[in-house]
Amino acid sequence: MRLLRFALGLAAAALLHFAGARASSFFPLAADLFLVVTVLVARSGRPVEAMFGGLVCGWAADALSGLPFGLHGLADTMVGYGTARIAQQLVVQRRTSLLSIFAAAAAAQSALLAVLIAVFVPGGGLPSLVWLPVKVASTALAGLAWAALAATVARRFAARRRRRPSGTLTLGR
Amino acid sequence: MSPNRTRLLFVALVVAQLFLLAGQARDPRGASSLLEGAFLRALSPLGRLVAAGGETVGGAREALRGRAALEAENRSLRAVVRELRRERLRLAGLALEAEELARGAGIEAASGLELRAARVVYLDRRSDLRTLVLEVGARGARRDQPVVAETGLVGRVIETAGRYAKVQLVTDRAAAVAVQLEAARRQGVLHGAGPGRLEVDYVPRQVEVAVGDRVVTAGVDGVYPRGLAVGVVASVEPGNEMFHRVEVEPAVDLANLSLVYLLEAAVPPAALTRGAGDAPP
Repeated sequence: MRLLRFALGLAAAALLHFAGARASSFFPLAADLFLVVTVLVARSGRPVEAMFGGLVCGWAADALSGLPFGLHGLADTMVGYGTARIAQQLVVQRRTSLLSIFAAAAAAQSALLAVLIAVFVPGGGLPSLVWLPVKVASTALAGLAWAALAATVARRFAARRRRRPSGTLTLGR
Repeated sequence: MSPNRTRLLFVALVVAQLFLLAGQARDPRGASSLLEGAFLRALSPLGRLVAAGGETVGGAREALRGRAALEAENRSLRAVVRELRRERLRLAGLALEAEELARGAGIEAASGLELRAARVVYLDRRSDLRTLVLEVGARGARRDQPVVAETGLVGRVIETAGRYAKVQLVTDRAAAVAVQLEAARRQGVLHGAGPGRLEVDYVPRQVEVAVGDRVVTAGVDGVYPRGLAVGVVASVEPGNEMFHRVEVEPAVDLANLSLVYLLEAAVPPAALTRGAGDAPP
């Protein structure tokens, strides 16, 4: 179930990424929806799921970026693992805290990407500092909105399951 | 999974990826390329879906925009059509009037007479005393002023009232016009002989008159200038022992007039003007 949810989340992130890129060529610079999925997975506090989730999400971002394949994968793996470890220590319920986690994840990913680019892409330009705050803010807001939507869907799904009649059949009177 | 194993797994995963990145630098067509290709194959259908959806949405938006634009254009064109129809009606009237004026101008140029257009506002059809009422404008008209149409003589003004004037038609029984049979070069007196009929009196029997001969004004009665077309001879009969009974068909369809012309002034013939200059003191 969790795997299915992850796959759906990844597909949704990819769709939104394509749609955003179609709407504006600056969208990939301004937001990272694959990172949102990574952090959402990591919120559960399961580091293994988080690191592999980050790996897949990062590779998806790598497949669509012009950077060497694996840069986002490595960065998102680290971010996912770190977020999961933090989520093990904290119970995040307030929106501002959630917003902070997404913002911190985006900032950390950008910093990691900058380091990885400096190491693995000789002569490659570092990510623009102009877009960094935009990316942090938009990723944080997108993550918050996504989390709220996911919570709403989960609540409705749970309520429907509770209303569903039990599997016991009573035959006769 | 224990935290230590998880940590080890994490380190292993990071190291593996670092090797992947390092290997990619040496061999760009290695494992990373395969992975990238796999992800691209997995994600590209979504991109195609978005592109198709975007085109559909864009097309629908364009269609809606186009429909709105077409509706607006349709509304404005309908307004233009209404305006053009009104204009066409107005221009049709003007064209008719211009045509009549042009014919009048033709007469003016040909005859050397000064004309002023007047609109027929009323035609008395009920009696033999056929009359027209004209709207002659602010300049008014004067009594006995000749009135012509593009094809010939209509009558003369017998009454004026500001912007309006009453005209006695040549077909009026009381009307009398000095005329000349153009071919025979004989003069006579033309008068009305009933609805739409004219007769010429005082044409001697010894004069040869043929049907179809043109009848024009003689210019000797002090009202009409010389040479205005009056009609053509329709029939010639012996009237009495001295004169023919000549019936004339009017040159103007008097029952169907909408615009006529007032003759402002008779221009003396050029020969007469020249003759006056050459005359001895």
